[in-house]
Amino acid sequence: MTWVGWRLQRTESLVVLGTLGLLAAFLVPTGIQMANAYHRDGLAACLSFNPGPTCAGAVGGFRQRFQSLIDLSNWFTLVPGLIGVLLAAPFIGELEHGTYRLAWTQSITRGRWLAGKLGVAVATATVAAGALILLFAWWRAPSVHLDGRLDTGNYDTTGIVVVGYTLFALGLALALGAVWRRVAPSLVVAFVGYFATRLFVDLSLRDHLIAPLTTTYRGTSQPGFLYNAHIISMYAALGDHEIMSGGGFVLGGQRKLAAPRLGHAVFHVVYQPESHYWPLQLAETGLFAGLAAILVLFAAWWTRERAA
Amino acid sequence: MIEFHLDGRSGVPAYLQLVQQVRQAVRLGILRPGDQLPTVKEVVTRLTINPNTVLHAYRQLDLEGLVEGRRGVGTFVSAHPVPPPPGDLKGLRSSLDRWVGRARAAGLDDEGIAALVAEAVRPAAVSRVA
Amino acid sequence: MSAGVAAVRTSGLGKRYGSRWALRDCALEIPAGSVTALVGPNGAGKTTLLHMVIGLVEPTNGDVEVFGRSPRRDAREVLPRLGFVAQDHPLHRNLTIAEMLRYGRKLNPSWNQQLAASRIERLGLSQKQKIGRLSGGQQAQVALTLALAKQPQLLVLDEPVASLDPLARREFLNAVMEVVVDDGLTVVLSSHIVAELERVCDHLVTLAEGATQLSGPIPEIVARHRLLTGPRGDVASVARVHDVIRESHTERQTTLLVRANGHVYDSCWEQHEVDLEEIVLAYLGYRPGNGASTIPAREAVRA
Repeated sequence: MTWVGWRLQRTESLVVLGTLGLLAAFLVPTGIQMANAYHRDGLAACLSFNPGPTCAGAVGGFRQRFQSLIDLSNWFTLVPGLIGVLLAAPFIGELEHGTYRLAWTQSITRGRWLAGKLGVAVATATVAAGALILLFAWWRAPSVHLDGRLDTGNYDTTGIVVVGYTLFALGLALALGAVWRRVAPSLVVAFVGYFATRLFVDLSLRDHLIAPLTTTYRGTSQPGFLYNAHIISMYAALGDHEIMSGGGFVLGGQRKLAAPRLGHAVFHVVYQPESHYWPLQLAETGLFAGLAAILVLFAAWWTRERAA
Repeated sequence: MIEFHLDGRSGVPAYLQLVQQVRQAVRLGILRPGDQLPTVKEVVTRLTINPNTVLHAYRQLDLEGLVEGRRGVGTFVSAHPVPPPPGDLKGLRSSLDRWVGRARAAGLDDEGIAALVAEAVRPAAVSRVA
Repeated sequence: MSAGVAAVRTSGLGKRYGSRWALRDCALEIPAGSVTALVGPNGAGKTTLLHMVIGLVEPTNGDVEVFGRSPRRDAREVLPRLGFVAQDHPLHRNLTIAEMLRYGRKLNPSWNQQLAASRIERLGLSQKQKIGRLSGGQQAQVALTLALAKQPQLLVLDEPVASLDPLARREFLNAVMEVVVDDGLTVVLSSHIVAELERVCDHLVTLAEGATQLSGPIPEIVARHRLLTGPRGDVASVARVHDVIRESHTERQTTLLVRANGHVYDSCWEQHEVDLEEIVLAYLGYRPGNGASTIPAREAVRA
């Protein structure tokens, strides 16, 4: 069953490999450029809360060259979704074309067949996700330094959540395909579902997967624990007047919450500190991986019990 | 060696067609005493028919004394097969010619003659028409 | 003929999908070594019955036994003894023939690679060819090879020749007949075309609207059915002794298709033999036109 599982996924495996290769071909040259620029311009020294005088120019120059590229690459967070749904195709194809009847009248049990086929898909998805993480983590290293790990683009593409995303997309496609038994529509709807779910989690759930912290401080001296924190909401007041409010950004690198001329302003901040990075990653990965597990098991159960 | 053929539309059961073809072949000398009939497998492969059909036919021929089956070897035309003696054949043929002449004189066409003959030949078990 | 060992036995077998019964109260016995035709119109329940025989579908009611075991509960013992070719003979189109055989080898402990390879060679095919490039007839033969190479004792074919041209049909059935001669294989094949099955099969089961009507050896079926024709009149005296399967009347003539229980002595009827196709059509509820009246298909009868 091992050989059978891999051989029947050969096309999709090659497409995944090709996708990774294509990404690498695009990212490696630009990544080297970015890394070189980062080191050459000595940007590492600009990352404290009290950077030197040349830093503004150096960082500004870096951003001018690369920020649009980095922003564009945030869309790569959709790649796990593509890879995940694609790897569901062999399984759904068996149901669509009736070849599962061929498999179930050989001499192996249904359980064995399901375990083999789904196992191969899950294994490939996990390895592909790992490769994506390595590639993106390397490429975005300068951005991570400058903007912090909690920056959405960095968080989404370089963290272990990518494994959760890929498996979730796979599970969604498998579950849809098990019921629908048509490859193309199942993959399309699954990808749309992936996109919608990601959007929902990104915008509404992520901030609250781990309880955020709240703090109040006065004046221009921003506390150290806000460095690289993800600000969910903030509110600054002078006496009774609100002078600033906002939210949804990361205090990475040089960014500061400050009201320079109003030393007695009071800041109220709700935030996720940088130290919450791993708890947040694990929580979100657990969420997506847990959904994936339910979906995959459903697909297996539905196929086994209902199909003829 | 005899080569069988089947007419799917003749209304005659397949095994009977094989029996008749063997009888005819013996009559005409195509099959001589001691000749081997095709094996069941050969006939099945050639005609795409059920093996039981061939077995039935060979069994029937064995009962008639026309062939004998030798276990593990094959089916062979009997040393002394029992065809009708030639003398009778001649006599039968001439009376048949006379009868056909009378039937035509009575106004029967070819089809009418064939219908009469078919009815007369119908197996005893079926035609109990008083 | 057969040693009395049933390759397949069903009792009270039924399958319901929602509110519709695809098969109901099916009781039949298929002797080992026989070649059985399962005949009926599309939608009659043939595929459902076959799928239950091979364990693909769980029955709603009743039992099915293959060589005395349940094909679903005892799948591990039954599956290796079973060969199956589904309708339209599904295969993996992107695989080469060699890879398709490897598939069979990996998934069947009783696989005979030499048998498979020699069959492919005799078919004039190269193992390097891609399945998707083969003609319909060649694909059907590869699917058959896959089923035969695991050396089954029961071969189940669901409408195996429906989509094939006449030559491919003949070659396919020929291949099946060869294995029957060589190995005493039991074969069950379903079809909605009666004519070509008569050559190849020695047993028949008819199925219509989920119910079996006729089941038994073909020579006996043919011998027991008669067509009776006579002047228009009362059929009661015949119906008292024999089973009238189909009756039709014109102004001056009555025609009956009967299953005879003994000899038909009544002298006012002219008797004719009936060929298998006519018998099957009568059981399947064929209704001739022009004012003729008929009775509905009867309950299952053993020929």
